[in-house]
Amino acid sequence: VTLSEGARAGTGRELGMLDSLLSLGGLVLLRDSVEWEGRSLLKALVKKSALCGEQVHILGCEVSEEEFREGFDSNINNRLVYHDFFRDPLNWSKTEEALPGGPLGALRAICKRTDPGPVTIALDSLSWLLLHLPCTTLCQALHAVSHQDSCPGDSSPVGKVSVLGLLHEELHGPGPVGALSSLAQTEVTLGGTKGQASAHILCRRPRQRPTDQTQWFSILPDFSLDLQEGPSVESQPCSDPHIPPVDPTTHLTFNLHLSKKEREARDSLILPFQFSSEKQQALLRPRPGQATSHIFYEPDAYDDLDQEDPDDDLDI
Amino acid sequence: MAAVATCGSGAGSPGSAVATASKSNVTSFQRRGPRASGTNDSGPRLVSIAGTRPSVRNGQLLVSTGLPALDQLLGGGLAIGTVLLIEEDKYNIYSPLLFKCFLAEGIVNGHTLLVASAKEDPANILQELPAPLLDDNSKKEFDEDVYNHKTPESNIKMKIAWRYQLLPKMEQIGPVSSRFGHYYDASKRIPQELIEASNWHGFFLPEKISSTLKVEPWSLTPGYIKLLQFIQNIIYEEGFDGSNPQKKQRNVLRIGIQNLGSPLWGDDICCAENGSNSHSLTKFLYVLRGLLRTSLSACIITMPTHLIQNKAIIARVTNLSDIVIGLESFIGSERETNPLYKDYHGLIHIRQIPRLNNLICDESDVKDLAFKLKRKLFTIERLHLPPDLSDTVSHSSKQDLAESTKRLGPGCGMMAGGKKHLDF
Repeated sequence: VTLSEGARAGTGRELGMLDSLLSLGGLVLLRDSVEWEGRSLLKALVKKSALCGEQVHILGCEVSEEEFREGFDSNINNRLVYHDFFRDPLNWSKTEEALPGGPLGALRAICKRTDPGPVTIALDSLSWLLLHLPCTTLCQALHAVSHQDSCPGDSSPVGKVSVLGLLHEELHGPGPVGALSSLAQTEVTLGGTKGQASAHILCRRPRQRPTDQTQWFSILPDFSLDLQEGPSVESQPCSDPHIPPVDPTTHLTFNLHLSKKEREARDSLILPFQFSSEKQQALLRPRPGQATSHIFYEPDAYDDLDQEDPDDDLDI
Repeated sequence: MAAVATCGSGAGSPGSAVATASKSNVTSFQRRGPRASGTNDSGPRLVSIAGTRPSVRNGQLLVSTGLPALDQLLGGGLAIGTVLLIEEDKYNIYSPLLFKCFLAEGIVNGHTLLVASAKEDPANILQELPAPLLDDNSKKEFDEDVYNHKTPESNIKMKIAWRYQLLPKMEQIGPVSSRFGHYYDASKRIPQELIEASNWHGFFLPEKISSTLKVEPWSLTPGYIKLLQFIQNIIYEEGFDGSNPQKKQRNVLRIGIQNLGSPLWGDDICCAENGSNSHSLTKFLYVLRGLLRTSLSACIITMPTHLIQNKAIIARVTNLSDIVIGLESFIGSERETNPLYKDYHGLIHIRQIPRLNNLICDESDVKDLAFKLKRKLFTIERLHLPPDLSDTVSHSSKQDLAESTKRLGPGCGMMAGGKKHLDF
């Protein structure tokens, strides 16, 4: 499936790709920016997986628990298992409820759970973890978590782990972002135009070509996902309004292009050495007033007209 | 091999004439035959291990890389004791295929394998090796019309120009050789009994390193240390460096290391430009090359160089490896819709070829190479410009090709290069 084919896919498949982000498993990277924030999409996906009956664990590092739970109704709030690292990230209060090992310890503890069933882990946010932990350790931990169920028959839904990570890509250089996106199974980059948010979804399956797709959506106040068609075509802005394309062929003193009449005249020109049928007829037709052809030659003063054959001198 | 042949040929050589004249006496001309199994093989003897052959250019012992087209481009194969580094393509789709062809070639030839990875379990990697084409599509006999098998879609037998049937249809690089280099079917898996019959060792990093150790900034990352110790143990215990002279049959060790330099190995060159351990990878390659040069082994490494932030590290890594091949796939780039590249899936860049006991290296004259992964075969071909039929082709498509041929090297022909959108 080439990129263009993916964009022209039928509406049923387009609408399904954002919905089925969680069913693929593995690491799903949500890349947002200052203009298009991703926490609402993260909460929408958390709500969807909670409604599907999966276990949902939240590692909250960037915003407080009250702010994260805001907007969810109570049955969803009861299903979420929240690990709070916002209030006391360095564990200064040393209470028993603090999890050992920090966020990574919490991740490993979730992996060691014994009960089967699909699990969704939401990391809010990966940027916080990248700033507080070495990148290699984080990558190794994420890989261990998301590939925990990779036994030879690994398509079983039991024990499938999806990790949703929110990454603010403007905070990091290309290095960590590149390293995390090479680990991710799915990458969702948020963007949009003129008030309409879009998600560019790049899906990397292990041994197949990556498929990508752009999906326009909006988040309703109760954090459910509303998929939409894109804005109309004529409202698309031109590619780069800051730099107008420079055309070097303007203001020239000579003609680089031909007008239509000139082009027609050129195309209809018969080349001198082209033997066409008209020329053949013209040659074959006897010309009026000339039965045979003669050559008239007048020798001038410098010509040496000798009737002898110069080869007679040779003695062979 | 040549020396033994002249001794045995008989009539022409004077040595054997003397020998035949006085058969009853013991002459000083002794026929040198192959000695019994190697107690003390000294001198320039050719080691006859399955799946290897000596290079005709510099006498090095070569193994096949698993792709006969790639063998041809590298001057016959991969020399034993050297490192083949593959720079991965952006989405890591085609480089695992080369990696697996190398390992599958080892299994088919009966070599010992050592597979190291931080991402996948080596047992899973071995399950996914491609199946060798060993039946009618194999090229065992030269006198048959073997080249027709490469293009199964055209079965036209030419009546008048029948000599041209022997030539390959498209200019595919590589002659067909029977015992050195096999073709692999990428859509099928290798049969299980071949894997079980083979001798392989796996190194999966998450199993070997359980806790996070404290790393001194001047040393290698612990993952690399463990891998080097593992490789050294295997080489020593199985006698690939000649340390166990009682071994009856010499064999070659094929080492495959996947995704070296990625963060999963604990190396931060992909994450930061000036990390704390930026010399770890180069030290690893240096020690690895020392281990390889003193043993009968060949190594393939795939590395995600597009993620490495510091370009100087890439240059150092290239210098420390022997053969460097870069894969560039067209997925996601604007070349995918380019009409010039519509038949291919990517380009292959051969960035470095070694000079082993030689003053010159074995450079092929083809610099523009492209690959494509058909459903079964991975083929490498010379990148051809489509023919410029100037009377029939309209002007607009000529201009598209003209812009895209600016990127090609001089080997591809300059006829369409350089033309702008001009009407005269």
